Order: sequence, then structure tokens, then C-alpha cells
Amino acid sequence: MKYRSAIVPFLLSTTLMTAAFAADVPEGTQLAADQTFTYRVLDEFSSFDPQVVEDVNGSEVVRDLFEGLYNQNADGEIVPGVALSHTVSEDNMTYTFTLRDDAKWSDGKPVTASDFVYAWQRAVDPELASPYAWYMELMSIQNGAAIIAGEKPITDLGVSAPDDHTLVVQLSQPLPYFAKMVTHATTFPAPKWAIEEHGQEWTRPGNIVSNGAYVLTEHVPKERSVRERNEMYWDNDKTVLERVVTLVIGDEAQGLTRWRAGEVDKTDIPSGQFPTLKEEFPDQAYALPRLCNYYMTFNLKDGPEPFQDARVRQALSYALDRDVIVERVLQGGQFPAYTFTPGATDGFEVPEVDYANMTQAERDAKAKELLAAAGYGPDGDTLSFTYLYNTSESHQQIAIVASQMWKQKLGVDVTLENQEWKVFLETRGNQNFELARGAWCGDYNEASTFLDLLTSQSGYNDGKYSNARVDELMAEAKSSQDTNPLYFEVEEILSQDMPVIPIYHASINMMLSDQIKGWPVNNVEQNWYAKDLYKVAE
Amino acid sequence: MFNYTLRRLLTVIPTLLVLIVFSFYLMRLAPGGPFTSEKPLPPAVMQNVLERYGMDQPLYVQLWTYIKNIVFHFDFGPSFAQKDRTVNDVIVQGFPVTLTYGFWSAVFVLVLGIPLGIIAALRHNSIWDYTMTGLAIFSQIFPNFVLAPILVLLFTLSWGLLPGGGWNGGQWEYIVMPAIALGTSYMAGVARLTRGSMLEVLNAPFILTARAKGLPERVIIWRHALKPALLPTLTYMGPVFVYMITGSVFIDVFFSTGGIGQDFIDGAYSRDYSMLLGLAILYSLLTFTLNLMLDLMYAWIDPKVRSSL
Repeated sequence: MKYRSAIVPFLLSTTLMTAAFAADVPEGTQLAADQTFTYRVLDEFSSFDPQVVEDVNGSEVVRDLFEGLYNQNADGEIVPGVALSHTVSEDNMTYTFTLRDDAKWSDGKPVTASDFVYAWQRAVDPELASPYAWYMELMSIQNGAAIIAGEKPITDLGVSAPDDHTLVVQLSQPLPYFAKMVTHATTFPAPKWAIEEHGQEWTRPGNIVSNGAYVLTEHVPKERSVRERNEMYWDNDKTVLERVVTLVIGDEAQGLTRWRAGEVDKTDIPSGQFPTLKEEFPDQAYALPRLCNYYMTFNLKDGPEPFQDARVRQALSYALDRDVIVERVLQGGQFPAYTFTPGATDGFEVPEVDYANMTQAERDAKAKELLAAAGYGPDGDTLSFTYLYNTSESHQQIAIVASQMWKQKLGVDVTLENQEWKVFLETRGNQNFELARGAWCGDYNEASTFLDLLTSQSGYNDGKYSNARVDELMAEAKSSQDTNPLYFEVEEILSQDMPVIPIYHASINMMLSDQIKGWPVNNVEQNWYAKDLYKVAE
Repeated sequence: MFNYTLRRLLTVIPTLLVLIVFSFYLMRLAPGGPFTSEKPLPPAVMQNVLERYGMDQPLYVQLWTYIKNIVFHFDFGPSFAQKDRTVNDVIVQGFPVTLTYGFWSAVFVLVLGIPLGIIAALRHNSIWDYTMTGLAIFSQIFPNFVLAPILVLLFTLSWGLLPGGGWNGGQWEYIVMPAIALGTSYMAGVARLTRGSMLEVLNAPFILTARAKGLPERVIIWRHALKPALLPTLTYMGPVFVYMITGSVFIDVFFSTGGIGQDFIDGAYSRDYSMLLGLAILYSLLTFTLNLMLDLMYAWIDPKVRSSL
């Protein structure tokens, strides 16, 4: 017995309205003669190999070069890619995807289900040793973990192709958001013949075979890459942009200068410059919500004794005026955070945690009260600790402001310590800190990508917070159809236990030329596809 | 001379070995590794990654494998940060870029610096001299990270004459600003050095003799004064030239040239061990080669040096 998942009627309806997820050019629009979109990236890409790529910029390119089972639309919802629809078994453990029959590789070969099987096996293959193998583990594909650990052969992975257009995925546990996860680059198909022919060099222009809307035609590492329309792409008729060029510009200010000079259509905004640029270019400066948070984590394992007292942790959290940090220090359209999960997360409604509704004056008063009750403050001992962050101007600004707020409001002595990035990660990962900076970006658009971080068994739980009820609720959420009440309770517990101090939910700041249209401003993962964009005449 | 060159060449091997061993262990002393990230890898995944790159082996085995691969296969290993490429790929692509703009920058330094210095010396204490000295000091206080944005503001934003960055296969308009930004303060140095030593040489007894013999001034300058006057400049230019062609991090990042200067710094931050080592070897080989060439040039210019080789 199988039933169609809730998404299927939606998917079927979008299949009929294909125009809704390709470049949607309104009638009468005068398109630019040169349909080239040029944008700045900070750094050279880690890879163009879907199973190997790790960085955000690399994934952007890979999303254009390859197409997975599903894509995201302008709102971040899933829409058909190579797969038209899927069904889910009653126990929520088997997903059967139906693939379109007109999808082709850039060399003209048809895209088949076995290309996905090959790719997914490749992703967990210890021989390829992709750092992103963990994503396949996260997807709970049957035997994924055992294959990565070298205990089973890759052919045991819970994915099969009964025929060319059917892909069956077997999970090891139900995962309500599984279908959302197949928009990720790691799950994209891979051309076995090209990889076998060219080995590690298969992603170079000329060697690469891809099934997305674009093909890679030029790549000068650390300087530029060019991708051009893929004539073989099944929806090529609707692609408008002919060429997409990336320029590696390591210096943010220089990126902005070159945007002003018209050399790039899109660049990031250097920190602190958003307000002035917004004034100067109201239609071209953007601050969009982003699926990332920023927090401070208490070391609950080896940290100072006072941190074991939840009242101390709460007091420190309450005393931080997030509005000041967001509006005066960062000035980039970030959102003050009182929950760990960003409000922009799909399906997540921000719960009403107590301290979010207080005024800052009330929070400050409460903070003093809590700290005094714990035996610190003017009438008790002086609380002192070290705050650790990685070397960066904006982290430093936040650290200084926070330590000043604590000092003035609570009389707390904070020593600030900064470390180079990798040293910092090592120190924090080994619990050699007292209070440390943290930030997390969602791997998929669902609250568990954040909240799982604070479960006892999470490898990312640097503060070693452990609450049996949180673990229980998060485990329950994996198979629940209605997760919001569970996530609410977790956030509620977090606001009481305060193992981390949420500071803000991030935004992405960019300058985007007003000639470029179709940008998915509402997609909080900022997963954009060049095939959905177009360039209008000046 | 031949024996001397041979002797110098033979010292390269032990020097390089010491350099490799030291750098190898020093790098590993820094906390963190190439695969340390905000999202730590699960242990099984980490194990696979380490195995793939042979990093699960004891350090001395890794070092031995590294040296063996260089000697027998001329393979400097994979890049951990740019996973589709090897260190050889990175050098083959990036070095010609830095070599090109470094070369043109050196040309700019010499072609402008030396004549300026000579003119100032010949017109000692004249308006020429003061202008040149002022210009030199002015240029010297402009480090490249100040000069580069100014150049871009003028040539790109205001006048729209040159592209703000990129390389585009090394077309001239992409080379101009990196070469000037990199070279200006050195050009000033060369001008001042040349002026100083030229003045000294012009006051030397053998120039007096030449003048007494009634040689024309042109011959005195070109045939007798120039060669000795250039010695300090040569000494100065040796290390500067190495610095220029091995790429400046700032120039690479700012002008997005794609040169290798930036790889060295990126390699350090990302703990891209093989990249760092590969570049360290390249840099030391270049330093060595250029120093040797410099010494041979000394010998050509200065008979005293020649006889002592």
C-alpha cells in the first residue's frame, strides 16, 4: 500500500505550469541584447564535482551545471527537476521518484535513474572520501553510515533503479523532510562514463558532461569561470541568460568598486556599508533573510562553575540588547534572535518565548535579579569569564559591545580572546573555552537542521549541552507529521536552560544590478538558478 | 666560474631537504588541519578523508612519501582546498601570471628608477634633483595597498580607461595597474639608490682621471660610471625581483589576477599542507636561482668579485 505524499498534488500541478519555475519574463519586457550575468565570488571554488563540492559558491555553480531530482522555486519550495513527482510508502521509509523521460546530459545521453544511483553510491564511497558524505548520512539512506565506515560495499546503499525512469530510495528511519533534501548538490546525478574517462580531471571544461541548464565552458582558477546555455537541457527553450560569468574578487571593497564600474552585476556588501548603499541605490542594495543564526555557546562540560547555573546563563542572555547589536553595530538588516531557529525557516513559526516579549528594560531588570539570586553581582561575587571568537572585525565588534553591556548592567568582567579560524575551531571543538562564538547555517530548510545541534549526541554540540527531553522531542520530530508543537517545546526548554545565547538571525547583503530580474528574494537558502534569471535592457 | 656555479648548484639539494623537513613539521604544529571546519566531519567520514590523502600515516611516513613523489614523479601532491586540482596544476596556472606582472613591474622599476636616479645625480642640487628626490620619497610612502585603490579609482571609476581587475589571459590593460601598484615604491628605492651611488662614483678618483684625460662626459657616464654605480641597485633588486615574481598576496587578491601569491596565504589559512610546501619549494628555488644569477652578474660587472670566484 502506498499513498501519494502531500507534496505530490502540488508537484503535479506545477508540472502543468512549467513556466512558473523557469525564467518568467513578463510580456512587453525589453530584454538586454547581451544576456550575460557576471557576479563576484570571494574565493576559488572547492570543486565542480557535485559529490565533492563543499562551498556555497561552488554549489551555486554546480546547481546550474547539474540538475537533481528537485529544484527550488523563488520561494524555496521544491519543484520538479529531473524527477516529476514521488510517492512515499506508508511507513515513510521508501521514496519512489518518477523521472522525466526528456532529461539529457550535455553530450546527448539520456539522464536515467542509474545516474542517480551511481552518484549517490559515489557520495558515500570511502574511496572518493567526499567530506560531504555526511550529507548522505543525514539523509538517513539505508546502509549509508555502514558504507562510509567501510563495513558494507557501496552497492548495499538503499537506492535502486528498477527502470530508467524510476528511482527508489530506502531510508533507515522516517524523515518527513526527505524530499526537501534532494535539492542539494551532493544528490545530483553524475556521468559515470565521463568520470571514468577523465578521472579527477572530469570537471574541466571540455571534459565535463552535465545535465543542468548550463555547461562549463571556461575556468581559470582564482580568476574566472564561464558557463553557457546547455542546448541539451530539457527546458532549454525557457532559459534566457546565455552566459554566466563568475569573477573571483577576494577584496570586498574592490568587489563593490567593480560593481560600481559595471564590471559585475552582483557583489556582496562590505560589512557596515548597507545603510549608505541602500540610500544611494535603493533598488539595488538588498538585505535578505538567510537561513543562518549567530549565537554564543556556554561550555557546560569544562566551563566555569557559574555557567552550570541556568540563572547565570539566562541573566547574560537577557542583558544583551540585540536591537543595539543589529541596528547599531551590524546594520545589515539582520534580525534580533531569541530562539535558536530563524523565523525564516520553512514551516517554523517562531514560538513566543518569554523573554522575547519583554522590553529591554524589563530584561535588564530580570537579568540583575537572576544574577543576584545566583549569588553574583553587586552584593555577591564578581562573575568573570573569557569570551572566545575567531579573528574578524564584525565578531570583534559584537564581542566588545556584549562585554560592555555585561559590564555596565551586571558588573560582569569579560576577557576577550580571539584566535585564527582553524585554531579557534580546534579550541572550541575540544571544549577549551568558557563562552564562545557560534554560527550555523541550515543544511536544509527545516527547523531540525538547527535544533539537532543541541541534542546530546550531536557532533556539533560544542557546549556539550544535554537535556533528555530535548533529545526525546527531536527524535520524535523525525517521524512526526506535525513538528511545530515539538519544536516549540524544544525552543521553550532552550529559553529556560539557555545553553546558548541567540544573538541574531542572519541576512545576506548584496548589490544586484537592477537589470537582473528574477532573483529569488524570498528563498531563505538563497539557492538561485541562473535559468530563472534574465537581464533587461538598460 | 663553471666550478663555482656547479658548487652552488650542488648546495641546493641539502638546503631544499632541510627546508622541506622543517616546513613540514612546522605546519603540522599549527592547530587545526585541512579538514577542520565549522561543521566537524563525523569520525567515519574524517577517517576516509585522512586515508585518501595518506594523512592517517605517521608523520615521517607522510614526509617520506611526499619527498619520494617529488623526486620520482615530480608530483607535489593534491590541493586540499581546491579538490579538483593538484599543487602542480595550481603552480602551472598561477606562476606564469605572477611571473608576467612581476616581470613588467621590474621593467617599470628599472626603466623609470635608474634614469631618474642618474638624472638627479648629474643635476645634483638642481631643481631636477629636488623634484626627483621629492617624487621618490612620495612614491616610497605609498605602499601598494594604498596605491592600488587610488589607481582603480582613477583609471577605472573616474576615467574608465582600464578594467578594475582580472587577467584575461594577460592582456596588457590587465597588467598595467598590478605592475605599477607593485613596483612604485621599489622604483623610488631604485631611483634613490642609483642617485646616491652615482654621486659617489662621480666623485671617485678614476672618474677624475677620465675627466682629466678629456673624455667626453657621455663616455664617462656610460662607459665608466654606470657599471659601478649600478652595483648597489643590483644588490637591492635581487630579493625585490624574487618578491615580485613570486607574487604579492595583496596584488593577487585586489586585482584578482589568479597568481600564486594568494595561494600561499590561502594555503596557510586553510592548512593546505601540500600547497604550502609546494610553494615554499618553488619560492626557495627561485630565490636560489636569482641569487646565483645575481652573483654571476656581479662577477661580470666587478673584476674584483670575478677574481675571487
